Amino acid sequence: MDIKNNEFYKKWFKNSYTYVAGAVLLSIMQIVTLASTGNPWGVSGVFANWGAWIYEAIGGSVDKWYYFSSKGAQATLEAGFMNHAPSMRNIGIIFGALFASFAASQFKIKKIKNKKQIFAAIFGGLMMGYGARIGFGCNIGALYSGIASLSLSGWVFAVFMFLGAIVGSKLLVKYFM
Amino acid sequence: MSKEYELDCMGEACPVPLIKLENKLNELETGDLVIVQIDHSCAMKNVPEWARKQGHNVEIEEVDDGEWEVFVEKAI
Repeated sequence: MDIKNNEFYKKWFKNSYTYVAGAVLLSIMQIVTLASTGNPWGVSGVFANWGAWIYEAIGGSVDKWYYFSSKGAQATLEAGFMNHAPSMRNIGIIFGALFASFAASQFKIKKIKNKKQIFAAIFGGLMMGYGARIGFGCNIGALYSGIASLSLSGWVFAVFMFLGAIVGSKLLVKYFM
Repeated sequence: MSKEYELDCMGEACPVPLIKLENKLNELETGDLVIVQIDHSCAMKNVPEWARKQGHNVEIEEVDDGEWEVFVEKAI
């Protein structure tokens, strides 16, 4: 049997799902996350912990850092990577996305087209990471989980992220077109 | 006589392929064909969607793993 032309394969693995299907799945999964871990879904805060663990692994210490000064943050760092549910979830996202692109036979290592892309990726990543930490959340933890928790802060985040996206789009058209 | 153009968007992330196509179509005559080469799966979704909404004729061909050619014939 030729799997490429199999209807079931095409529907579930090859063709992209609709935005509505994606939204419904995300909503169900974030409820599962809240119910099973006791905390709302977050993504970028995990990377701060990963950074701390890497820093500690090479002999550094974050005990005195304000960001990690709470008892909860210290306990999380103490318990380690393997006991950190959000870390496991992020690993799951990375490997799940990899599996999805393999399953659809769309995996490809892309070429970097120009130096601007390198600069934009590094600079953009640093800005997003820094902003997410001083804002106590990214578009998942602060926006998505904020709104899902009926918190006003999530909506405030949405308004300003939208404004930022407008500025970002203008810059993109100016420097990448 | 309608003409054929290739638009190389390999290695370009969203929304660059879409904006490039929009600019290209503005220069062209009705009946002209643009072949957009993309390797970004999100562009594979929004480029055909946008072009169809504008009323153009669109066909997608998967040329390799994670590489597509989107054929857009300017209809209006």
